[in-house]
Amino acid sequence: MASIGTGYDLSSTIFSPDGRVFQIEYATKAVENSGTCMGIRCKDGVLLAVEKTIISKMLVPGSLRRAHIVDKHASLVVCGLISDGRVIVDRAREECENYLDFYGRPIPGAILADRLAHFVHLYTLHWSVRPFGCAILLGVHNGEKQGAQLYMIEPSGVSYRYFACAYGKGKQAARTELEKLSLNDKQASPQISCEQAVKDLAKIVVSVHDDSKDKEYEIEMIWVRDGKPAAMVPRDVVQKVHDEAKREAEADSDMEDE
Amino acid sequence: MFRNQYDTDITTYSPQGRLHQVEYAMEAVKQGSAVVGVRSNTHVILATLKRSASELASHQKKLSEIDDHVGVAIAGLTADARVLTRFMRNECLNHKYVFEQPLALSRLALSVADKCQVSTQRASKRPFGVGLLLAGYDATGPHLFQTCPSGNYYEYYAMAIGSRSQGAKTYLERTFDSFPECTVDQLAKHAVLALRETVSSSKDTELTLENTAVAIVGKGTNFVIYEDDEVKPYLDMIDADEEEQPAEAEPAAADAPMTDA
Amino acid sequence: MEKVIYVNETDAQRKPLLPSASSSVMSGLRLTAGVPLKDRDDSVLASAAGAPVKHTSRPIVTGSSVIAMRCKDGVVMATDTLASYGSLARFRQISRLYKATDHCVIGGGGDMSDFFELCETVRKETTLEYCYDDGHMITASAIHQMLARIMYNRRNKMDPYWNYMLVAGWQHGKPVLGYVDLVGSHFVSEVIATGYGEYLGLPLLRKAYREDITVEEGKKVLQQILTVLFYRDARTIDRIQIACVTEKGVEISEPTKLETEWSYKAFISGARASDVSTW
Repeated sequence: MASIGTGYDLSSTIFSPDGRVFQIEYATKAVENSGTCMGIRCKDGVLLAVEKTIISKMLVPGSLRRAHIVDKHASLVVCGLISDGRVIVDRAREECENYLDFYGRPIPGAILADRLAHFVHLYTLHWSVRPFGCAILLGVHNGEKQGAQLYMIEPSGVSYRYFACAYGKGKQAARTELEKLSLNDKQASPQISCEQAVKDLAKIVVSVHDDSKDKEYEIEMIWVRDGKPAAMVPRDVVQKVHDEAKREAEADSDMEDE
Repeated sequence: MFRNQYDTDITTYSPQGRLHQVEYAMEAVKQGSAVVGVRSNTHVILATLKRSASELASHQKKLSEIDDHVGVAIAGLTADARVLTRFMRNECLNHKYVFEQPLALSRLALSVADKCQVSTQRASKRPFGVGLLLAGYDATGPHLFQTCPSGNYYEYYAMAIGSRSQGAKTYLERTFDSFPECTVDQLAKHAVLALRETVSSSKDTELTLENTAVAIVGKGTNFVIYEDDEVKPYLDMIDADEEEQPAEAEPAAADAPMTDA
Repeated sequence: MEKVIYVNETDAQRKPLLPSASSSVMSGLRLTAGVPLKDRDDSVLASAAGAPVKHTSRPIVTGSSVIAMRCKDGVVMATDTLASYGSLARFRQISRLYKATDHCVIGGGGDMSDFFELCETVRKETTLEYCYDDGHMITASAIHQMLARIMYNRRNKMDPYWNYMLVAGWQHGKPVLGYVDLVGSHFVSEVIATGYGEYLGLPLLRKAYREDITVEEGKKVLQQILTVLFYRDARTIDRIQIACVTEKGVEISEPTKLETEWSYKAFISGARASDVSTW
């Protein structure tokens, strides 16, 4: 890499001569090594999913949490360094609480995403701190009128709203798969339901996972649905869907072999 | 060496997106003498190997009580551990003062992990060079947690950290399926047997009354530390059961810290 | 804009008493949690500057009695729905019962704004618990203890939340009922009443209490006592709410109207119609 050894890549407060901030790009690398995270906006809510590598069989299931409830109406998943992600989770909870305290209604997704993006961006501005080594997928539901929203915040502090998005190891393949679900039909609201999306995302996780290279993994999912508080998708449901997806994938590959 | 450019500052990522300073702090944990934690459906047991600086020095204690229902075993820099221990005692006391209930283990582990994370993100700090095994019993039963300098924390059925802990880990991985139904004595035996794996490869060390300590916490039992003469029953237990030969210790596999684990 | 209090304020020498920004502030955004110095209580700053400290010394909009009974299969609690402004029956449809968790309800009397603020504090705590999603849920007795700590802390600042509160819950298969007040006193008991209820209701509660009393019986008892209180306490109305906490959860009734009977002789001619004494 042209950046290495130049001395322009040692601090996030240094621009390289061609106008890049390498430390932010390196932080992004930490995210790209992480298990694939995905989010999808559905007709009845928003669903987030994350692939978690199981580092030891002695680990209690659900340990090393990546999907977090932020408020009754908001959830997020962390892609990248888990411990960095928790700082953003804490901040997000604080923002939700402050907004509700001050305005008497739950924080709108756009504002929460904006505030978190500001927060993340702040860590790219000062020499005394390092940028976050994680990206955040944010799912918020603001009732019937505003509906469900999905945002992604990157280590640089950039944030966009999405119909569906993916980040992490398998992001390219996952994005291609998500596009096939054709969710960005702007004429109509998304046709897919959360229940259906659970199956679709499990399938995508299975398809982007490289069995030969990667270790054992589990899927964690979280959703915010119409009129219901943000909640983890029950583990047994995820497990069932995951097993089905695996079986299908194996059946497919067997057919190819023949 | 290019590598040196990126490994001297806690706020600097390497081009691969790694944080070398944090990884080095994780190494400090591996330098500490071994500690083992195991959990059944009712109890958690910690077993530790103590070191002494010289013949004339006492053995460094590695177990601390945090509250009636929690205790920790440490591996790494003892002085750093003392800071975290004090922090945890404070957290437990505050929680008890406000809610008149013991602090849940998961929350305690979370708050320690959050504290560790802060010192991985600021130029003016260094990470804590210590790993902890938290053992405790709360409203949701017995729990065993591990915390790392990276700010990660894990809940385990059984775990070993510290120098030569790979041997203990191998033993635990082989046997942990049977732990849930274990009695306290059986569980303690597994803990001490696992701990013995960490000394079996060196000829001049073995588990003795001086260098071994065991702690138990569980349903109806507050956290208690057994050391010196009190640890004798546990050592006798494994002596009485010599036929089971320990497996050869494997070389420690480098766990990549801070990367997606 | 930021308010800074000056010591020995003269035009010539103006020294800020406190630093205007703490070190954890960058670009106006906070990196760390905690209260910046500038947001501290005005009265503390004022007193440091030599001004006398002023605190709330009376409640403003008030609720009257809260009464409750611990039963065999749960806890029942009742209040009326009035918030008075002095002797004016100002707000007639205020609920003074707050469902804190699925198995805890709080009833409050005294200053209503203070009560709602305390309920907000509890809500924040329960929301956080919900977010943690780790299998632990705050119990009624933990909420009771937390409120007691808050109340005691504030009374030590000579700035109390002006309330009397009852906390009812169901935990570990048992009913719990506790009391907290503005000075931080707190206890648990099988029957508790606050405000005028303490004088007029408590003896009736004690008389009606049995160890094997059921929630259904308890509800009737509370209704009768609130009727008595309505007859005698000038700060009540005849619209009430009854909450019960059982194994199944919290159930708070819609406001219902008390049945009253005003044709008693004593009500018509006055209880002391034939009494000629002046006392």
